[in-house]
Amino acid sequence: MLKTVLDRLALSVPVLLGVLLFGFLLLQLVPGDPAQVMAGPTATPDVVEAIRRDMGLDRPLLVQFWAYLERVAHGDFGRSMISNKAVTEELGAAIGPTVELMLASLLWSVPVGIAMGTLAAMTRGSWIDRGIMAISVAGVSLPIFFVSLLLIQYLGVVLRWFPFIGRPGPWYTAEGFMALFLPALSLGLILIGPVARMTRSSVLEVLSLDHVRTARAKGLSETRVTLAHGLRNALIPVVTLIGLQAGYLLGGAVVTETIFSWPGIGRLAVGAILSSDFTVAQGAVLLFALGFITINLIVDILYSLLDPRVRK
Amino acid sequence: MTMATDTADSPLTTPANEGGEVAAPPPRPHWLRRLLRDKAAAAAILLLALICLGAVLAPWLAPYDPALNSRAVMKPPSFMQGGVPEHLLGTDGQGRDILSRLLYGSRLTLLIGLVAVGLGGAVGSFIGLLSAFYARLDPWVMRGIDILLSFPAILLGLALVAVMGQGIVPVIIALAVSSVPDCARIARGIAMGVMKQEFIEAGRAVGLSDVTLFQRYLLRNCISSIMIFLSLRFGQIILIGATLSFLGLGAQPPAAELGMMASQGREYLLFAPHIAVIPSVLIFLIVLTANVAGDALRDVLDPRLQT
Repeated sequence: MLKTVLDRLALSVPVLLGVLLFGFLLLQLVPGDPAQVMAGPTATPDVVEAIRRDMGLDRPLLVQFWAYLERVAHGDFGRSMISNKAVTEELGAAIGPTVELMLASLLWSVPVGIAMGTLAAMTRGSWIDRGIMAISVAGVSLPIFFVSLLLIQYLGVVLRWFPFIGRPGPWYTAEGFMALFLPALSLGLILIGPVARMTRSSVLEVLSLDHVRTARAKGLSETRVTLAHGLRNALIPVVTLIGLQAGYLLGGAVVTETIFSWPGIGRLAVGAILSSDFTVAQGAVLLFALGFITINLIVDILYSLLDPRVRK
Repeated sequence: MTMATDTADSPLTTPANEGGEVAAPPPRPHWLRRLLRDKAAAAAILLLALICLGAVLAPWLAPYDPALNSRAVMKPPSFMQGGVPEHLLGTDGQGRDILSRLLYGSRLTLLIGLVAVGLGGAVGSFIGLLSAFYARLDPWVMRGIDILLSFPAILLGLALVAVMGQGIVPVIIALAVSSVPDCARIARGIAMGVMKQEFIEAGRAVGLSDVTLFQRYLLRNCISSIMIFLSLRFGQIILIGATLSFLGLGAQPPAAELGMMASQGREYLLFAPHIAVIPSVLIFLIVLTANVAGDALRDVLDPRLQT
């Protein structure tokens, strides 16, 4: 077991290096001179020169990349070009809200999606099945900003059930909990369709296997067969799917956070880009990529826990 | 002999007639016919074709200049209360005709999607095919794909826009690049299967050059499966492109683009919800019809691709 985990960890090292190289090159490609931006429009040339030397911008690229890796390893992503706060500080403040939002959306949408997919598989070919599949195709085709706008309009503005601007506190406070509702609802909708579809086809596949036939032959009820013998094994591919969908979830988080003024990494990234704050933008994008790698790492390890055949 | 070989080993299920001959199975209908038999798919294809036609013919169909401001501001569609007959779908916050903007907007939205899918699909499939063709390349290519996969499309979009500034070009590049790893993986998978076939070995044995082998034997046998995958990808690309424009990172005013139109309608959501709702619904319809059509196409032409 430990070996599987270590092997998988070793595999993510080159990926991690590649991502960091990408982040580094991103900063190199930024139009304009970072030292000039840092110094401001009124700085004299020798001030700009001093900043350039200070930031190591006059050294060869490879040396700069190494220095960059060293800084990143020490948790130093530079300073915001606008607020001059440490990027890590800005990211640190934003990571909690993003994780909270993503967990909240997963928490409701994955069970709902699995339930929908199982129901569809059990009623295969009926109008219930067709209805659920139609909903799931519609779900993956809906622009998330549209869903968010509709939720704001009807549940927020017209019915006044939920607040829809910002995050007054963490989820365990009453206001924070209410504020989490609409963003988590719209972000979770992204996952329902794919999870329902995958669960359906996976359950159908498992239901055609021998051990299910044995269970049926034993005289177990169809519900029992589906839930105890079918669903349990069918969930393995669904777990992998969640890893694959993590990218959409992160991307969706960027949109929901922006629309609901949720103070997370996504809104930070969009704000930084629109105000040309490259260091923060780079930090946020890197953090997102790291999050994506971590989610997939966890999913792979979970996968080998759930399916002993993968372990070996 | 007309006996089909695959029926020979199941004599119990195939009715044999007097002479011991087996009745040939009825010929499978043409794939297009099978596709159109699915009513949902036929409706989706028709609707998508209509939207595309509207987009192509926008300069002739649009009743107004899409950037023309008028004094009739925030008018609802003409069939709703308060609407005016001159503007069928109403006007936006600056008094621009929504129908005209919709036609031009879907033009830009579809164009962004098409170019991105075309570019990303071409590059991705080429990489995938090469990786299957030259086994030595494979581990490197797979690692590279893993790295690219760590950047979901929207993040890649954010990163590129950060570097290149807001606009359509960085969005297209981001969408194309983000389709590369997926296409490469799919193309590699398909090509791996083809590479195992005997005709590849036969081609090698008669001394065909790599280029000929690649182009004539591998590419031609993979291309249709790849195209089906791309048609499935198209809807997603459109959705992400519109989302980037919604965030203010893609198309810039005064151009008309559906995601941007929805974003501009946000301010008027309270008084004139149609400004945001109409373009959003059109995006939904484009993506939905593309997804339904892509699914149906795959089921008919290449069920192996089912995931």
